[in-house]
Amino acid sequence: MGAISLEKVEHLYWLGRYTERVFTTLQKFFEVYDNMIDEGIQGKVYPKYCECLSIPNIYTSNKDFAMRYLFDKKNPDSLAGNMERAYDNGIVLREELSSEVLSYLQMSLDLLASAAGSGAPLFTLQPLVDDIYAFWGCVDDEVDNRECRNIMKVGRRVERLDLYLRLSYGKEETGKELSKLIHRIKETDIRFNEEKLERVIEIVNQDEIAKEERREAVRLVGEIVEVM
Amino acid sequence: MKSLLDHTQEINKMLARYGVKFGIYKNNEFKEQLFPFDAIPRVITHEEYAELEAGLIQRVDALNQFLKDIYTEKQIIKDGVVPENFVFSSSGYLPECEGVIPPKDIYSHISGIDLVQAKDRSWFILEDNLRIPSGASYPLIARELSRRASPETFHENAIVDNRNYHQMLRETMDYVNCGGINVIMTPGRYNAAYFEHSYLAEKSGAVLAMCSDLFVEENQLFYRDYKGKHQKVGTLYRRISDEYIDPMTFNKESVIGIPNLMDVYRAGNVAIINAPGNGIADDKGIYYFVPKMIEYYLQETPILKNAPTYLPFYEEDRKYVLDHLETLVVKDVAEAGGYGVVFGSDMNAGELEHWRELIQRESRRFIAQEVIDFLDLDIMEKGERVPRKADLRAFVLSGETTKVWASGLTRFSRNPDSFVVNSSQGGGFKDTWVLSR
Repeated sequence: MGAISLEKVEHLYWLGRYTERVFTTLQKFFEVYDNMIDEGIQGKVYPKYCECLSIPNIYTSNKDFAMRYLFDKKNPDSLAGNMERAYDNGIVLREELSSEVLSYLQMSLDLLASAAGSGAPLFTLQPLVDDIYAFWGCVDDEVDNRECRNIMKVGRRVERLDLYLRLSYGKEETGKELSKLIHRIKETDIRFNEEKLERVIEIVNQDEIAKEERREAVRLVGEIVEVM
Repeated sequence: MKSLLDHTQEINKMLARYGVKFGIYKNNEFKEQLFPFDAIPRVITHEEYAELEAGLIQRVDALNQFLKDIYTEKQIIKDGVVPENFVFSSSGYLPECEGVIPPKDIYSHISGIDLVQAKDRSWFILEDNLRIPSGASYPLIARELSRRASPETFHENAIVDNRNYHQMLRETMDYVNCGGINVIMTPGRYNAAYFEHSYLAEKSGAVLAMCSDLFVEENQLFYRDYKGKHQKVGTLYRRISDEYIDPMTFNKESVIGIPNLMDVYRAGNVAIINAPGNGIADDKGIYYFVPKMIEYYLQETPILKNAPTYLPFYEEDRKYVLDHLETLVVKDVAEAGGYGVVFGSDMNAGELEHWRELIQRESRRFIAQEVIDFLDLDIMEKGERVPRKADLRAFVLSGETTKVWASGLTRFSRNPDSFVVNSSQGGGFKDTWVLSR
């Protein structure tokens, strides 16, 4: 195949973003959850996490956060909600991606549904990490159209950079992700805003990023790709 | 075979993994449901299949000739074989298609013919689906998984490999292609058969598109990619109904069609699969006349029988229907998908009276058929083999030649008291094995 419509480009891009959102926030959640173990019922760890991600803190306790942030599909910021959106974007791309690739999205969705209410989410959700790794491996193996792969990966890199900036990852990690994004963007034909990209590079390359500049970088990262 | 049955649950899990679902609207809400697979196959012997194949090809060839005749010469009406009234009062007849001859003269490229097998193993045609019959993808993927689950079953039995449907589809699309890419047009993921649209696109190499990806310019149909490049479309396998395909010709409210598509089609610049206007040939009222069409166009004796059918439109038939309503099944000619079907045996006295009045008042709207005593097929239900009603949708593809796919969708009712096998009404499906010797 060769022809990709504009609508499909959007789905590819957002599939990359949502899959990555689930992956990276799950990794971070493992850390947050571990920190919550040492807290009382009303912790301080998760409110800070919500603030970093700019998601409303609708949770009433550590336990409530652990359950609803992970499994509540009605909560648009939950892992389950983000996985649903990854699936929604993927399901319309079967002929680009293959049934094999889509099966990893389906399994991820099923896993989140079956793990809901688990008392040991760090254990029960480990296979979700495995499925997402397998998803990307399968994309590399099964998706013949290079442009499709690259557009998805642009979405993936944009999302990871966005999250690393929000979660205040260090210069080295953020810089590495930025390099990967630049490399990937240049591999595709999608339009991007060079000026905004330059400004993000400038901000990320600083040893210390001021709060305002970090916010600016987050905003600009979401605007680099112009086709959306 | 035992090892195949032992793996039924795993096969169903794999079907779920691959997203083998169909959509259904309940209370205005869209839900995706798994289509339960039963691993006990329908088995069609080599000899049975030879007759079935010949009969299906004969029927579809006659139907294709009928469609051409109706939209051009209307000789069959002039010769008094099919009453004029039956054709022009049908909602399936589209005056907009008058005089339009599709590429290579093929109207029904993909025909889904529904049959049942009686207890004496003879086949009866229940209905013809010549618009957008769906269902081939389910046995296609189920066979793939069944072979993985139980290779020895397929090694030990001489079963014709059915995993060529997408190649047959591709050949059909290529044969009528007017120059350009093959496109499968879907109304979107909230359509009941979306899995099938996307799966067939994946397997056949066609581009899956929505109306927003397609446009008409200078009497040609184009697909627009994200770089702004336009690719000419040579074959459009549309999975939306006639009334929605072109708001400039049909339903003006349609937002899922392509404006001016019919102009491109009339000019012979794109093949539309299946041709618009085919609804006239799969009208449940016209069904009655198909054996006569075979004799008329092909000068052959019909190989496959219709279920015994009465047209209340004819006085003699109407009298019979009114007198025997409690033993007949009545079908609304405008309905599909198992809807609009009522069994006289399920009606109380008041309902029988109501239906008698309705049939008298709107005699063209209904047909009535004898209830065929289906050959039940076994399914596994809670660990036990139990008999259930089942039908077969056979797929006939018309390209350079007319070919029958050596398989089909066998649907069964999960309700022991029901004859209705449609997936939308809770039924399941089976693989259909055709034996090669």
